[in-house]
Amino acid sequence: MNRPWLSQYPPGVPAEIDIEACASLKDLLSTRCTRFAELPAYSSMGTTLSFRQLDEASRAFAAWLQKAARLQHGDRVALMLPNLLQYPVALFGILRAGLVVVNVNPLYTPRELKHQLDDSGATAIVVLENFAHTLEQVIGSTAVRTVITTQVGDLLPPFKRWLTNAVVKRVKKLVPAWQLDAAVDFRRVLSAGRALTLDEVALGHDDLAFLQYTGGTTGVAKGAMLSHGNMVANVLQVAAWIGPGMQEGAETLVIPLPLYHVFALTGALSFFSTGTQTVLVANPRDLPAFIQVLKASRPTAIIGVNTLFRALLEAPGFAELDLIGLKLAVAGGMAVQQTVAHRWKQATGVPLVEGYGLTESAPVAIANPIDIAEWSGGIGVPLPSTEAAILDVEGQPLPPGHVGEIALRGPQVMKGYWNRPEDTAQVLRAGGWMRTGDMGTMDERGSFRLTDRKKDMIVVSGFKVFPNEVEDVLALHPGVLEAAVIGVPNERAGEAVKAVVVRKDPALTEADLVAHCRLHLTGYKVPHIVEFRGEPLPKSNIGKILRRELRHAAPTQTGSPAPAGPG
Amino acid sequence: MAKERGPELSHRIVLRDGREVNLRAITEADAPAIQRAFDLLSAESRYNRFLQHKKHLDPAALARGVHPRPGQDFALVATVPGPAGTDIVGAAQYVRASTADDATCEFAITLAEEWRGCGLARELLTRLLKKARCDHYAAMVGLVLADNTPMLALAHKLGFSVEPLSEGDTAVQVRCQLEPWQDSATEPGRLW
Repeated sequence: MNRPWLSQYPPGVPAEIDIEACASLKDLLSTRCTRFAELPAYSSMGTTLSFRQLDEASRAFAAWLQKAARLQHGDRVALMLPNLLQYPVALFGILRAGLVVVNVNPLYTPRELKHQLDDSGATAIVVLENFAHTLEQVIGSTAVRTVITTQVGDLLPPFKRWLTNAVVKRVKKLVPAWQLDAAVDFRRVLSAGRALTLDEVALGHDDLAFLQYTGGTTGVAKGAMLSHGNMVANVLQVAAWIGPGMQEGAETLVIPLPLYHVFALTGALSFFSTGTQTVLVANPRDLPAFIQVLKASRPTAIIGVNTLFRALLEAPGFAELDLIGLKLAVAGGMAVQQTVAHRWKQATGVPLVEGYGLTESAPVAIANPIDIAEWSGGIGVPLPSTEAAILDVEGQPLPPGHVGEIALRGPQVMKGYWNRPEDTAQVLRAGGWMRTGDMGTMDERGSFRLTDRKKDMIVVSGFKVFPNEVEDVLALHPGVLEAAVIGVPNERAGEAVKAVVVRKDPALTEADLVAHCRLHLTGYKVPHIVEFRGEPLPKSNIGKILRRELRHAAPTQTGSPAPAGPG
Repeated sequence: MAKERGPELSHRIVLRDGREVNLRAITEADAPAIQRAFDLLSAESRYNRFLQHKKHLDPAALARGVHPRPGQDFALVATVPGPAGTDIVGAAQYVRASTADDATCEFAITLAEEWRGCGLARELLTRLLKKARCDHYAAMVGLVLADNTPMLALAHKLGFSVEPLSEGDTAVQVRCQLEPWQDSATEPGRLW
C-alpha cells in the first residue's frame, strides 16, 4: 500500500518497528526493569519506586497470584485502582503471572462493575478500600473469589503510610464501611509473595494481556481483547514516535489521566520503556495539589486531555510555574480546542501534540509528529508499522480529500471483542482492516483530519457516553414516560450530557432524576442538563426520534460548570 | 392509485444462505407476532429502529403499524413457521413522511438478529421501493444512524443518496428518488 505519510516522519522515526524484539509485554517490562534498575520508575505522593523495587514488588505480587491464589494462565483479574503506586505493581504482577488485566473505573456504580465482572469472568480483583463497598454489593453474584484490598498509603514509608491512611479514613472519611469475606490486604500479599517462587510463564504475541472495556451503541460495554503482541506493538510504536525528542533514562512524565484509561496506560508504558520516571497524579481535579506536583517534579513530558489542559491554564499558580524543562505535551481522548492549544503554546512554549486512536487499537494509531511548531487541528499521520485509509460506505478506499470512514491496519489492532463474534465481525474486516466508525479525510501527503463523528456517542472530557445506556437508566425511573439523551457543546468538557424527559409523574424533579442516575451511572455519564417537556418527544412519522430537534428546539443552560469528570 | 392487493398474497423466497421466508403484507392479526418479535430484539436493534432506547412497543404505534392506510402506508412482513404458528423475522414499512408532503414517504426496516446478512433486508427494501412507486410517491427517505454501516451500504446499493442532517447529529437521512411507472404495462405484476 502507498504510504504517503512516511515523508512527514521526523528524522530518527523509523517506518517500521520490530515487534519481534519482545515476545510479550511481560518481557518488555522485565527487560526495562533490569536495564534501568537504579532509576526512579514511578512516583506518587512524594514517594518513589525504582525500576528494581518495582521488579521485586511485582514479582512477589505475581508469585502470590500464582501460588497462593492459584490463578491459572489466562484467568482475568480486575484492577479497580486510581493512579497510586499500587497500580503499576499490581499491573506488572498480573501480567508476569500470565493473567489478563481487566481495568475498571474505580468510580463505577455497582451496576456497571457487575457488568464488567460478569462479562469478563474475572475471578480476582484488586480494589482500593475506598471503593470496596461498591464491590461488596455485587460480588455475591459474580465469579470473583480472590479479593485484594489496598489503602491509599500502602506503598508509602511507615509513618507516612500510617498518617495517610488515617487521614483518608478518619479525617476525610473517604472510605465507606465495607465487609468482604476473605479479602486479603495488599501488603500481606506482597510479604507472603516474597517467600514464594514465581514460575515463569511463557507468553507470546497471541496471548491475551488486557480486556479493555469500551462502550457501544447498545449501551453495553464490550471487552476489547488486547494481546501481548498488540501492547508490545503500540508501546514500541509510541516510543519510536517520541524517541527523537526524548533522552533515555533522563525524562520525567507527569500522568494525571487515570491509568485504567487505555490512552494513559499505553502512553505511560511507552515512556516507561525508555526509562522515564512517571509521576502519578491520583486526583487532578484538586488543582492546587496538582500544581504542587508539577512544581516539585519539573516534568519534561505530560499526557492529558483538552479539559485538563484547559483547567490547568485557568488554575491560580499555573502561570508562575517554571515549566522550562517541558519538551512534550500529548493530548488525546477528545478533540483539542484551538483556543486551548493556542494558550498552552503561549504559556509553556510547547505545542499540544494530538494523537488519535481507539481502545480497539491499543489505542494510538495516528499522531502528529512531536516536532510540530504549532497545533495543527488535524490528528496527524499513521504511526510506524500502521496503515490508515478512508473508506466509502461499501468499504472501498476513497481518493485524497474525500470524506469517509477511517480504517486502520497494524499490529496494534485488537484480536476482537471478548465473546462477541458478531460485534467483532462488524469492525474487523478482510485483510486486517478495522473500521473505526469515525469520519475523516486524508490529504495528498497522508495527513488525517477528523470531520464528523459517526458513532452515536457523547465525549465528556475524553470519556465516551452512549445515549442508549443513559436512556435505559432514565427509563428505569417510574416517573419517566419517555427520555432521550444527546450531547450538547460544553466549553470545558467539550460536550455535556443532556437528557430531554417527558414526565409520567408531574412531581418529578431534576434533582430526583440526577440522584437516580447517580445510583446507576458513573459521574461523567450522569446528565448535566435535564430538560422536561410537556409533550411527546419529536419523532418522524415512522416513529424515529428527531435528535436534531432535541438539540435545537429548546435553549440549554449556558455557562454551567463542567460536567463531572471521570475522577 | 395502485391496484389493491389482498393480504392473502404471499411469496416464498430463498435467501442467500438457503433459508426460506414468506413475504406478505401485514395484517391486523400480526400484532401479537410483531410484539413477540420486538421482545426478542436486542437493545441495539431497537435503538437502530427508533433512534432511542426502547423497552416497550407503544400499543398505539403497534395498532397504526398493522393498519396501514391504503395508498399511503405499506408494511411488509417476512415470516417463518414457528411454535406459535408464525414467527415474524423481519418487517419493513413506509408511511407518508409528513402531512404537508404527499410525494415523500419514510421507511424503516427491522430484522430479527439471526436473519441479518442473508439478503433479507435487500429483498424487503426492494419491494418497498416498488410499492412506493405504485403509490405514486416521488421519493423515499429514511433516518439511519450514521454507524449503522450495513443499512447505509444497502441503501447505497439500491440507489439512495446520503444527506447529513445537521452538525453533531449522529443520524443521517438517506433519500431515493422514485421514477414513476410510465404505464401499467411496466408495473410489476407481483410485489412480494
